[in-house]
Amino acid sequence: MTTTVHRRWRMAVMLVASGFYCLPALALPDWSGVWAMTGGTVFDAATRSGPGGSTTPGLRQRPPYTAEYEAKYLANMALRDKGVLPDPNSMCGIPAGFPRIFNLPDVYEFAVTDKQVWILSENGPNVLRIYTDGRAHPPVADRWPTHTGDSVGHWEGDTLVFDTLSLHSSESGNTMIDRTGLVLSDAAHVVTRMHIAEGDVMVVEMTIEDAKALTAPWVVTKRFNRQPAGTRVYDYACNENNRNPIDPATGWTYTIGPDGKIMDQSPSAAGSEE
Amino acid sequence: MKPVRSPLPWLLMLVAGGAFAHHSDAMFERAKVLELTGTIKEFQFTNPHTWVQVEVKNDKGESVEWSLEWGSPNQLGRQGIRPSTFPAGAAVTIRTNPMKDGTAAGAFIGAKLADGTIIGSWE
Repeated sequence: MTTTVHRRWRMAVMLVASGFYCLPALALPDWSGVWAMTGGTVFDAATRSGPGGSTTPGLRQRPPYTAEYEAKYLANMALRDKGVLPDPNSMCGIPAGFPRIFNLPDVYEFAVTDKQVWILSENGPNVLRIYTDGRAHPPVADRWPTHTGDSVGHWEGDTLVFDTLSLHSSESGNTMIDRTGLVLSDAAHVVTRMHIAEGDVMVVEMTIEDAKALTAPWVVTKRFNRQPAGTRVYDYACNENNRNPIDPATGWTYTIGPDGKIMDQSPSAAGSEE
Repeated sequence: MKPVRSPLPWLLMLVAGGAFAHHSDAMFERAKVLELTGTIKEFQFTNPHTWVQVEVKNDKGESVEWSLEWGSPNQLGRQGIRPSTFPAGAAVTIRTNPMKDGTAAGAFIGAKLADGTIIGSWE
Protein backbone atom coordinates (compact mmCIF):
# COMPACT_ATOMS: atom_id res chain seq x y z
CA MET A 1 0.00 0.00 0.00
CA THR A 2 2.70 2.44 1.06
CA THR A 3 4.74 1.49 -1.99
CA THR A 4 1.77 2.13 -4.30
CA VAL A 5 1.18 5.59 -2.79
CA HIS A 6 4.84 6.44 -3.17
CA ARG A 7 4.77 5.30 -6.75
CA ARG A 8 1.74 7.51 -7.48
CA TRP A 9 3.38 10.50 -5.82
CA ARG A 10 6.58 9.90 -7.73
CA MET A 11 4.67 9.64 -11.00
CA ALA A 12 2.77 12.85 -10.22
CA VAL A 13 6.00 14.70 -9.42
CA MET A 14 7.60 13.45 -12.64
CA LEU A 15 4.60 14.53 -14.71
CA VAL A 16 4.61 18.01 -13.17
CA ALA A 17 8.38 18.27 -13.60
CA SER A 18 8.23 17.19 -17.22
CA GLY A 19 5.44 19.73 -17.78
CA PHE A 20 7.60 22.53 -16.38
CA TYR A 21 10.58 21.29 -18.37
CA CYS A 22 8.56 21.47 -21.59
CA LEU A 23 6.98 24.82 -20.84
CA PRO A 24 9.58 27.06 -22.51
CA ALA A 25 9.50 25.01 -25.71
CA LEU A 26 5.69 24.85 -25.71
CA ALA A 27 5.46 28.62 -25.31
CA LEU A 28 7.59 29.33 -28.36
CA PRO A 29 6.24 29.45 -31.92
CA ASP A 30 6.77 26.69 -34.45
CA TRP A 31 9.25 28.06 -37.01
CA SER A 32 10.32 24.62 -38.17
CA GLY A 33 10.77 23.61 -41.78
CA VAL A 34 12.64 25.20 -44.67
CA TRP A 35 11.97 28.73 -45.89
CA ALA A 36 12.80 30.73 -49.01
CA MET A 37 12.88 34.49 -49.47
CA THR A 38 10.34 36.01 -51.83
CA GLY A 39 10.85 39.06 -54.01
CA GLY A 40 14.49 38.68 -55.05
CA THR A 41 17.72 40.11 -53.68
CA VAL A 42 16.95 43.80 -54.19
CA PHE A 43 17.02 44.66 -50.49
CA ASP A 44 14.32 47.31 -50.21
CA ALA A 45 11.52 46.43 -52.63
CA ALA A 46 9.35 49.27 -51.30
CA THR A 47 11.68 51.98 -52.62
CA ARG A 48 13.02 50.27 -55.72
CA SER A 49 12.72 51.87 -59.11
CA GLY A 50 14.00 50.85 -62.50
CA PRO A 51 13.75 47.54 -64.36
CA GLY A 52 15.28 44.13 -63.78
CA GLY A 53 17.31 42.87 -60.85
CA SER A 54 20.07 44.12 -58.58
CA THR A 55 22.75 43.84 -61.28
CA THR A 56 20.70 45.77 -63.86
CA PRO A 57 21.80 49.32 -64.67
CA GLY A 58 19.01 51.73 -63.85
CA LEU A 59 17.63 49.84 -60.87
CA ARG A 60 18.08 51.54 -57.53
CA GLN A 61 16.56 51.99 -54.08
CA ARG A 62 16.06 55.13 -52.04
CA PRO A 63 17.07 54.76 -48.42
CA PRO A 64 16.86 58.06 -46.50
CA TYR A 65 20.58 58.53 -47.07
CA THR A 66 22.57 61.54 -45.98
CA ALA A 67 24.30 63.38 -48.83
CA GLU A 68 27.56 61.61 -48.00
CA TYR A 69 26.01 58.15 -48.20
CA GLU A 70 23.91 58.97 -51.24
CA ALA A 71 27.19 59.81 -52.95
CA LYS A 72 28.68 56.48 -51.81
CA TYR A 73 25.63 54.64 -53.16
CA LEU A 74 25.77 56.46 -56.50
CA ALA A 75 29.45 55.56 -56.79
CA ASN A 76 28.73 51.90 -56.02
CA MET A 77 25.89 51.83 -58.54
CA ALA A 78 28.24 53.24 -61.18
CA LEU A 79 30.62 50.32 -60.48
CA ARG A 80 27.65 47.93 -60.57
CA ASP A 81 26.72 49.29 -64.00
CA LYS A 82 30.23 48.45 -65.25
CA GLY A 83 30.11 45.00 -63.64
CA VAL A 84 33.01 45.79 -61.32
CA LEU A 85 31.35 46.37 -57.93
CA PRO A 86 33.61 44.58 -55.44
CA ASP A 87 30.86 42.64 -53.69
CA PRO A 88 32.30 40.78 -50.66
CA ASN A 89 29.55 38.17 -51.04
CA SER A 90 31.15 37.01 -54.30
CA MET A 91 34.40 36.18 -52.51
CA CYS A 92 33.93 32.73 -51.05
CA GLY A 93 34.38 32.63 -47.30
CA ILE A 94 33.30 36.16 -46.41
CA PRO A 95 30.04 36.07 -44.44
CA ALA A 96 27.03 37.90 -45.82
CA GLY A 97 26.66 39.63 -42.46
CA PHE A 98 23.64 41.43 -41.11
CA PRO A 99 21.24 42.65 -42.47
CA ARG A 100 22.22 40.92 -45.72
CA ILE A 101 21.66 37.53 -44.13
CA PHE A 102 17.96 38.29 -44.68
CA ASN A 103 18.60 39.02 -48.38
CA LEU A 104 19.97 35.77 -49.80
CA PRO A 105 18.84 33.26 -52.42
CA ASP A 106 18.55 29.52 -51.73
CA VAL A 107 16.81 28.52 -48.50
CA TYR A 108 16.73 29.18 -44.76
CA GLU A 109 16.01 27.53 -41.44
CA PHE A 110 14.87 29.47 -38.37
CA ALA A 111 15.88 27.46 -35.32
CA VAL A 112 14.12 28.44 -32.11
CA THR A 113 15.45 27.32 -28.74
CA ASP A 114 14.60 28.61 -25.29
CA LYS A 115 17.80 30.64 -25.02
CA GLN A 116 18.78 31.52 -28.60
CA VAL A 117 17.33 31.79 -32.10
CA TRP A 118 19.54 30.89 -35.04
CA ILE A 119 18.96 32.21 -38.54
CA LEU A 120 20.63 29.66 -40.83
CA SER A 121 21.06 30.46 -44.51
CA GLU A 122 22.01 27.69 -46.91
CA ASN A 123 23.77 30.24 -49.11
CA GLY A 124 27.14 31.00 -47.61
CA PRO A 125 26.33 29.27 -45.31
CA ASN A 126 25.66 31.96 -42.72
CA VAL A 127 24.52 31.94 -39.11
CA LEU A 128 22.97 34.80 -37.15
CA ARG A 129 22.80 34.11 -33.42
CA ILE A 130 20.18 36.00 -31.46
CA TYR A 131 20.45 35.65 -27.69
CA THR A 132 17.05 35.52 -25.98
CA ASP A 133 18.28 34.47 -22.54
CA GLY A 134 18.00 37.96 -21.09
CA ARG A 135 21.56 39.08 -21.65
CA ALA A 136 22.39 42.60 -22.78
CA HIS A 137 24.88 43.74 -25.44
CA PRO A 138 28.48 43.68 -24.20
CA PRO A 139 29.82 47.01 -22.95
CA VAL A 140 31.36 49.21 -25.66
CA ALA A 141 34.88 48.33 -24.50
CA ASP A 142 34.13 44.62 -24.91
CA ARG A 143 32.81 44.55 -28.44
CA TRP A 144 34.24 45.10 -31.89
CA PRO A 145 32.65 45.20 -35.35
CA THR A 146 31.85 41.84 -36.95
CA HIS A 147 29.87 40.77 -40.01
CA THR A 148 26.78 39.78 -38.05
CA GLY A 149 27.33 42.09 -35.08
CA ASP A 150 25.76 41.36 -31.70
CA SER A 151 22.07 40.52 -31.44
CA VAL A 152 20.01 40.28 -28.27
CA GLY A 153 16.27 39.84 -28.21
CA HIS A 154 13.09 38.77 -26.51
CA TRP A 155 9.68 37.36 -27.36
CA GLU A 156 6.53 39.47 -27.50
CA GLY A 157 3.99 36.68 -27.88
CA ASP A 158 4.86 34.95 -31.15
CA THR A 159 7.00 37.85 -32.35
CA LEU A 160 10.77 37.83 -31.90
CA VAL A 161 12.14 41.31 -31.33
CA PHE A 162 15.90 41.75 -31.43
CA ASP A 163 18.45 44.51 -31.41
CA THR A 164 21.64 44.38 -33.48
CA LEU A 165 24.74 46.57 -33.40
CA SER A 166 28.54 46.36 -33.62
CA LEU A 167 28.43 45.70 -37.36
CA HIS A 168 31.05 45.95 -40.05
CA SER A 169 30.48 49.02 -42.19
CA SER A 170 31.21 50.77 -45.44
CA GLU A 171 34.30 52.16 -43.74
CA SER A 172 35.67 48.64 -43.29
CA GLY A 173 34.95 47.86 -46.94
CA ASN A 174 34.04 44.26 -46.24
CA THR A 175 30.28 44.29 -46.09
CA MET A 176 27.46 45.29 -48.41
CA ILE A 177 23.70 44.78 -48.29
CA ASP A 178 23.01 43.94 -51.91
CA ARG A 179 24.55 43.99 -55.36
CA THR A 180 23.34 47.50 -56.16
CA GLY A 181 25.89 48.69 -53.58
CA LEU A 182 23.79 49.57 -50.50
CA VAL A 183 25.99 50.18 -47.46
CA LEU A 184 25.68 51.39 -43.87
CA SER A 185 28.14 53.06 -41.51
CA ASP A 186 29.70 51.78 -38.28
CA ALA A 187 26.89 53.58 -36.42
CA ALA A 188 24.21 51.22 -37.76
CA HIS A 189 21.72 49.95 -35.19
CA VAL A 190 18.86 47.70 -36.25
CA VAL A 191 15.72 46.58 -34.45
CA THR A 192 14.14 43.55 -36.10
CA ARG A 193 10.68 42.08 -35.59
CA MET A 194 10.02 38.55 -36.90
CA HIS A 195 6.71 36.74 -36.90
CA ILE A 196 4.64 34.38 -39.00
CA ALA A 197 1.78 36.21 -40.65
CA GLU A 198 -1.35 34.86 -42.29
CA GLY A 199 -0.58 32.50 -45.14
CA ASP A 200 2.41 30.94 -43.38
CA VAL A 201 4.68 33.82 -44.39
CA MET A 202 7.61 34.76 -42.16
CA VAL A 203 7.73 38.56 -42.05
CA VAL A 204 11.01 40.18 -41.06
CA GLU A 205 10.73 43.92 -40.47
CA MET A 206 13.99 45.74 -39.90
CA THR A 207 14.08 49.31 -38.62
CA ILE A 208 17.53 50.60 -39.42
CA GLU A 209 18.94 53.66 -37.71
CA ASP A 210 22.33 55.07 -38.61
CA ALA A 211 23.39 58.50 -37.40
CA LYS A 212 26.06 58.79 -40.11
CA ALA A 213 24.35 57.23 -43.12
CA LEU A 214 20.63 57.96 -42.65
CA THR A 215 18.52 61.04 -41.99
CA ALA A 216 15.58 58.97 -40.67
CA PRO A 217 14.84 55.36 -39.69
CA TRP A 218 14.83 53.10 -42.74
CA VAL A 219 12.22 50.34 -42.48
CA VAL A 220 12.75 47.33 -44.72
CA THR A 221 10.53 44.25 -44.80
CA LYS A 222 11.59 40.86 -46.15
CA ARG A 223 9.26 37.88 -46.50
CA PHE A 224 9.91 34.15 -46.56
CA ASN A 225 7.63 31.29 -47.62
CA ARG A 226 7.67 27.92 -45.88
CA GLN A 227 8.73 25.28 -48.39
CA PRO A 228 6.94 21.95 -48.89
CA ALA A 229 7.38 19.40 -46.10
CA GLY A 230 10.41 17.24 -46.68
CA THR A 231 12.44 19.94 -48.45
CA ARG A 232 16.13 19.40 -47.81
CA VAL A 233 18.97 21.84 -47.20
CA TYR A 234 22.38 21.10 -48.68
CA ASP A 235 26.03 22.05 -48.26
CA TYR A 236 27.12 25.27 -49.86
CA ALA A 237 30.84 24.77 -50.29
CA CYS A 238 31.68 27.99 -52.08
CA ASN A 239 35.28 27.02 -52.81
CA GLU A 240 34.38 23.54 -54.04
CA ASN A 241 34.53 24.63 -57.67
CA ASN A 242 34.54 28.42 -57.77
CA ARG A 243 35.37 29.24 -61.38
CA ASN A 244 34.68 32.95 -60.92
CA PRO A 245 37.47 34.63 -58.96
CA ILE A 246 37.31 38.40 -58.49
CA ASP A 247 40.21 40.57 -59.69
CA PRO A 248 41.07 42.58 -56.56
CA ALA A 249 42.55 45.38 -58.67
CA THR A 250 39.57 45.95 -60.97
CA GLY A 251 36.62 44.21 -59.29
CA TRP A 252 36.02 42.21 -62.48
CA THR A 253 34.67 38.66 -62.16
CA TYR A 254 36.86 36.32 -64.20
CA THR A 255 35.82 32.99 -65.66
CA ILE A 256 38.10 29.96 -65.33
CA GLY A 257 38.16 27.55 -68.25
CA PRO A 258 38.28 23.76 -68.26
CA ASP A 259 42.09 23.86 -68.21
CA GLY A 260 42.05 25.73 -64.89
CA LYS A 261 43.25 28.98 -66.45
CA ILE A 262 41.42 32.31 -66.62
CA MET A 263 39.64 32.55 -69.96
CA ASP A 264 38.77 36.21 -70.22
CA GLN A 265 40.34 39.61 -69.67
CA SER A 266 38.84 42.26 -67.43
CA PRO A 267 37.42 45.12 -69.51
CA SER A 268 39.97 47.54 -68.07
CA ALA A 269 42.82 45.20 -69.04
CA ALA A 270 41.35 44.97 -72.53
CA GLY A 271 41.11 48.75 -72.75
CA SER A 272 37.35 48.69 -73.10
CA GLU A 273 34.99 51.28 -71.68
CA GLU A 274 32.56 48.48 -70.76
CA MET B 1 26.65 27.37 -83.52
CA LYS B 2 23.99 29.88 -84.52
CA PRO B 3 22.47 32.96 -82.97
CA VAL B 4 18.81 32.74 -81.99
CA ARG B 5 16.76 35.52 -83.53
CA SER B 6 14.55 36.71 -80.72
CA PRO B 7 15.95 38.81 -77.86
CA LEU B 8 15.85 37.24 -74.43
CA PRO B 9 12.45 37.68 -72.77
CA TRP B 10 12.31 39.42 -69.40
CA LEU B 11 11.19 36.25 -67.70
CA LEU B 12 14.28 34.41 -68.86
CA MET B 13 16.48 37.26 -67.72
CA LEU B 14 14.98 37.06 -64.25
CA VAL B 15 15.41 33.29 -64.08
CA ALA B 16 18.97 33.49 -65.30
CA GLY B 17 19.73 36.46 -63.06
CA GLY B 18 18.48 34.56 -60.05
CA ALA B 19 20.85 31.74 -60.88
CA PHE B 20 23.84 34.07 -60.63
CA ALA B 21 23.36 35.28 -57.10
CA HIS B 22 26.91 34.37 -56.20
CA HIS B 23 28.62 36.79 -58.56
CA SER B 24 28.09 39.51 -61.13
CA ASP B 25 26.74 38.43 -64.51
CA ALA B 26 28.46 41.32 -66.30
CA MET B 27 30.58 38.96 -68.40
CA PHE B 28 27.53 37.60 -70.23
CA GLU B 29 25.77 39.12 -73.23
CA ARG B 30 22.28 38.90 -71.80
CA ALA B 31 20.59 40.25 -74.94
CA LYS B 32 22.09 37.51 -77.11
CA VAL B 33 21.18 33.83 -77.25
CA LEU B 34 23.54 31.40 -78.93
CA GLU B 35 22.61 27.83 -79.85
CA LEU B 36 25.37 25.21 -79.67
CA THR B 37 25.17 21.60 -80.82
CA GLY B 38 27.66 19.12 -79.48
CA THR B 39 28.40 16.34 -77.04
CA ILE B 40 28.35 16.44 -73.24
CA LYS B 41 31.84 16.06 -71.84
CA GLU B 42 31.04 16.55 -68.16
CA PHE B 43 28.37 17.94 -65.85
CA GLN B 44 30.10 19.55 -62.88
CA PHE B 45 27.41 19.32 -60.18
CA THR B 46 29.29 21.55 -57.75
CA ASN B 47 28.98 24.71 -55.69
CA PRO B 48 28.75 27.60 -56.03
CA HIS B 49 27.65 26.93 -59.63
CA THR B 50 27.10 23.93 -61.83
CA TRP B 51 28.90 23.80 -65.19
CA VAL B 52 27.86 21.94 -68.32
CA GLN B 53 30.99 21.13 -70.34
CA VAL B 54 30.20 20.52 -74.00
CA GLU B 55 32.42 19.60 -76.95
CA VAL B 56 31.36 21.68 -79.95
CA LYS B 57 32.83 21.70 -83.47
CA ASN B 58 33.86 25.15 -84.63
CA ASP B 59 33.67 26.47 -88.19
CA LYS B 60 36.98 24.76 -89.00
CA GLY B 61 35.73 21.40 -87.75
CA GLU B 62 37.91 21.57 -84.66
CA SER B 63 36.52 20.45 -81.31
CA VAL B 64 36.18 23.25 -78.76
CA GLU B 65 35.14 22.69 -75.14
CA TRP B 66 32.47 25.16 -74.03
CA SER B 67 31.75 25.93 -70.37
CA LEU B 68 28.11 26.75 -69.62
CA GLU B 69 27.47 28.08 -66.14
CA TRP B 70 24.18 27.31 -64.38
CA GLY B 71 22.65 27.63 -60.90
CA SER B 72 23.86 26.03 -57.70
CA PRO B 73 23.38 22.27 -57.31
CA ASN B 74 21.25 23.08 -54.27
CA GLN B 75 18.75 25.21 -56.21
CA LEU B 76 18.74 22.86 -59.17
CA GLY B 77 18.62 19.72 -57.03
CA ARG B 78 15.40 20.94 -55.40
CA GLN B 79 14.00 21.41 -58.93
CA GLY B 80 14.76 17.83 -59.94
CA ILE B 81 18.11 18.27 -61.68
CA ARG B 82 20.64 15.55 -60.86
CA PRO B 83 24.31 14.81 -61.63
CA SER B 84 22.95 12.24 -64.10
CA THR B 85 20.87 14.84 -65.96
CA PHE B 86 23.67 15.36 -68.50
CA PRO B 87 25.38 12.00 -69.13
CA ALA B 88 28.84 12.17 -70.69
CA GLY B 89 28.71 11.45 -74.39
CA ALA B 90 25.08 12.55 -74.86
CA ALA B 91 24.25 14.57 -77.95
CA VAL B 92 22.82 17.93 -76.94
CA THR B 93 21.74 21.31 -78.24
CA ILE B 94 22.27 24.11 -75.75
CA ARG B 95 21.10 27.71 -75.59
CA THR B 96 23.32 30.17 -73.79
CA ASN B 97 23.93 33.86 -73.20
CA PRO B 98 27.52 33.86 -74.42
CA MET B 99 30.49 35.72 -72.96
CA LYS B 100 30.80 39.28 -74.24
CA ASP B 101 34.44 38.75 -75.20
CA GLY B 102 33.75 35.70 -77.38
CA THR B 103 35.49 33.11 -75.23
CA ALA B 104 33.94 29.63 -75.24
CA ALA B 105 31.67 30.04 -72.25
CA GLY B 106 28.29 31.41 -71.31
CA ALA B 107 25.31 31.39 -69.00
CA PHE B 108 23.24 28.24 -69.43
CA ILE B 109 19.62 28.84 -70.46
CA GLY B 110 18.35 25.45 -71.60
CA ALA B 111 19.16 22.25 -73.43
CA LYS B 112 17.47 19.72 -75.67
CA LEU B 113 18.66 16.11 -75.65
CA ALA B 114 18.48 13.78 -78.66
CA ASP B 115 15.23 12.21 -77.41
CA GLY B 116 13.59 15.65 -77.21
CA THR B 117 13.91 16.03 -73.44
CA ILE B 118 14.08 19.70 -72.48
CA ILE B 119 16.22 20.77 -69.54
CA GLY B 120 15.96 24.32 -68.21
CA SER B 121 14.21 26.99 -70.29
CA TRP B 122 13.43 26.47 -73.97
CA GLU B 123 10.87 29.01 -75.17
